[in-house]
Order: sequence, then structure tokens, then C-alpha cells
Amino acid sequence: MKKQLFFKSAVVSTILSYLLIFVGGLVRVSGSGMGCPDWPRCFGRWIPPTNVDQIPSYIDPTAFNIVLAWIEYGNRSLGVLVGFSIIVLNIIAIYYFRKEAKLFISAILSLILVLANGALGAIVVSSVLNPFLVSLHMILALMLVSVLSYACIESYKLIHVEKFKNLEGNKTLSNSLILLWILIFVEILLGTGIRTNLELVSIENPLLSKGELLNALDSYKYFHSFLGFTLLFLSIYIYTKLRNNSLYIVKFLGIFILGMIIIQIFLGEMMVFFELPQLARLFHTWGSSWLVGVIIILYNCTSNEQSK
Amino acid sequence: MSNLNKKLIIAFFSVFILGIIGLFTIDQATQSRINNLPLITEIPAFELENFDGKSFTEANLDNQITVASFIFTQCEGACPIMSTNMGLLQKRFAESDELQFISITTDPDYDSADVLREFSNKYSNKNNWFFLRGSIDNVVELSQDGFFLSASLLPLGHSTRLILIDKDRNIRKYYEGTVDANIVELQNDIVTLIKQG
Repeated sequence: MKKQLFFKSAVVSTILSYLLIFVGGLVRVSGSGMGCPDWPRCFGRWIPPTNVDQIPSYIDPTAFNIVLAWIEYGNRSLGVLVGFSIIVLNIIAIYYFRKEAKLFISAILSLILVLANGALGAIVVSSVLNPFLVSLHMILALMLVSVLSYACIESYKLIHVEKFKNLEGNKTLSNSLILLWILIFVEILLGTGIRTNLELVSIENPLLSKGELLNALDSYKYFHSFLGFTLLFLSIYIYTKLRNNSLYIVKFLGIFILGMIIIQIFLGEMMVFFELPQLARLFHTWGSSWLVGVIIILYNCTSNEQSK
Repeated sequence: MSNLNKKLIIAFFSVFILGIIGLFTIDQATQSRINNLPLITEIPAFELENFDGKSFTEANLDNQITVASFIFTQCEGACPIMSTNMGLLQKRFAESDELQFISITTDPDYDSADVLREFSNKYSNKNNWFFLRGSIDNVVELSQDGFFLSASLLPLGHSTRLILIDKDRNIRKYYEGTVDANIVELQNDIVTLIKQG
């Protein structure tokens, strides 16, 4: 019962965090980051103004764009909701699982990460969207969903001890999954590097077309594609190792990772050849965040180290 | 199994809905940028003089996107920041021949053509930035009635706003010339106007 409670709370926090990454990506691709020029309030109000008359005199009303304000506000509200869901997770952890180190530490860590990322959000706004800080904001969110995914699978294993009892540990597979996770994180860092540099070049050269912007980048952008294909081969290898696994969830996650990497390569190439359509950008970023969490779940499903 | 299939269908459906929401939001944001540049008012007729002695009138605003400011060269507070920001925009849009800048002095007694030229050399790096002077009465009238910006107790009491004017002499928006976030916004709005043609 208590374990179920923790598990459900962790799942809710994880799903909300993934939604938050989606909405955060939406803020970035739609250029709504400065929709609210102040923080934590929006034009001096807890609920954004719906017309220009509601803006306090100390804020310049010409900066007001109702659509951008509400997009940014959506991101902040969802952030607050994620914060609350993680506080609930922590209350459950502190109440019932103080001695269950894996659950307790992951809950506390997720709280620290969500608070840190909220504070970073304020710095992002005050820096007028410094591209480095925007990317760091996303990296912290990825770390958050990693920790939450870990909390989900560890509590799931505690509930379904029987299912995981007879797991035969496979060192090669575990190592491959660790390697895949590290490489995907590196791949995401390269991707955010490309995005950061595109934005930096674009600020200095506002008239460059998106194709010209891509050409203005160093050749390390090709490394992102190259690593993408390496990840594809690695995920095919992992899939072949998993397809005969007795656990359905393990087989399913193996296919999920392979499929997601194929989709990511497709979206990535679309962004290059069709000059970065914004929706492809959004799902490219979001899909990568799913991979990070899912690999952690899969690793903990196949690892033979059992939690008692 | 079938339970999982049901969950999968829900997941795919949710992603599909998110995609539609994403597309709709991106489209709304793009549209809002254009809608957020309303036609405020048309600049009335005026005649001022550039530091090179050439006359500059409202006709010089035709077919050019113009960023305008009111400054004076002895000003130590806002003007250097405003002018640095305008210089930054001038540099970033150096490739464009659709954009020009004007700075109108609110202290024509001190700011002679030579003083303005010297000031120009400090901030401008292209010949598309005009430093204009006229009689103080003309400047006050233009500021108050043309640009709807306060002009009391000149030269000090000039507005610190930058004004974006489109190719048809219409004021489209005002920006606080000393605030970074406003300059970023001005830059984005210039791109929007250039793309509109």
C-alpha cells in the first residue's frame, strides 16, 4: 500500500515533469521566454494580464504580448505543479521510506533539482534568455526526469519483487545500457551546443536564414549526426539482447529505445533539410528526454542487483 | 497485454494531441508578433538637418524601416546607453539596406553639426545613421505631437525611448532604449518588419 502510494506519486511526478519539458521546449521554439519580463510574477501579477490596462505603471507596457505571456505562464504554472507533486513524493518518502535509501535519496534529490531549476528559471529571465543558461535549464530538467524515472522503477520493483526475483544478470547488457545512456547524454549536450550556438550566431546576425545559420556552425555539428547513427547501432545490439527476455516490459522498452532513436534521426535530418521546422525541433528535444528516462528504467529492470 | 495496448493507444493519442497543441501554439506565437506591431500613428511633416548639412524630412522615412531616438551629446545618463544599443543594432543589421537610424538632438544650441559629427564617429559605423538638429521649437513639437513623447525641460527631459517606424512612416512601437530585454524585442520586431517586406 505504502509502496503503491510512493510508486503512483513518482509516476505522476515523472509524467508531469515530461509534460513540463514539452512545454519548456514549446517556450523555446515559439520564442516566448520573455513573455513575462519579471519573475516569479508576470507583469507584476500572479495571473498574467489579459489587456494592456492591467499592467502596472513601473513595467513598460509596449513589451506586452498576451500570447507569449500566457505560453511562458503555462511553463511556470506547470513548473509549480511539478514542484508540488515532488513535495508530495517527499512527504511520502520521509514518512514511510526513510530507511529505503534508494527511494528516499531519489525523492530528496528530485526536490533539490526541481527547486534549483525553478531558481535557474528566474536567472534565465533576468539574463534575457542567455542561450547557455536556457540550455542548462533543460539539462537540469533531464537530470530531474532521470532521478524520477529511477524512483519509479525502484518502487515498482519493490511492489513486484516476484517478477524480478529470477532475473539473470547480464554484465554485457548492463554495460551496454550504461554506455548508451552516457552517449545519449553526450548526444544531447552536443545537440544543445548546436542550439546554443545557433542562437548566439542568430543574435549577432539576425538576418541570416536558418540554412545559413547552420552553415555558420563549426563542423562539430556533423559529430551530432555521426553519434546519432552510432547510437542506432548500439540500440539495435541492445534490442537483439533483449528480444528473448522473459519480462514483457523489458522487451517493450528495448523496442521503444530503438524506435525512438530512429524517430530522432528522422526528425534531426528533417530539421537540417527543411530548415528547422519548429515542431520537429520540439519533438526532437522531447524525444531525447524520453530516452534518458527510459534507459534508466530498462537498466534497473535488467540489473540483477535486487532491492529488498 | 490488452491493458498495455490500451495504454499504448492512449500514449500515442496524447502525443498526437500534444503535437496539435504545439503546432497551434507556435502558430499563435508567430501571428502575435505581427499583431503586436500595430499602426500607431503616421509621422507628420518635419524638416531637420543632418550633421553633413543635408536636409532630412519625413520623405527620407519612405521605404526604410527607421529606428529613432531623442538624445543630446552632453547627456551622461541614458543617451550613451541608447546610442550604444542603436550602434549594436546598426552593426547586427549591417547587411540590410532597408534599415536606417535617426537621432535627434534636444540641445541644438550646444550640438552643432561638428559636435554631432564627432558624436556620430563615436557610435555609428555605417552611413545609415543620421544625427539631426533643428530649432528647439521644431524638436519639441516633433517629439510631442509627432512621436507622442514628452519633451519638457529640454535638453534633459527628453524621452529615453527608441521608436520603430515602418516603411510607410507609421510608428509601430516604442522601446525603452536602456533596457536589454527591450532591445532584443526591437531586434526581433525589425526582423519581422523586414520579412514582411
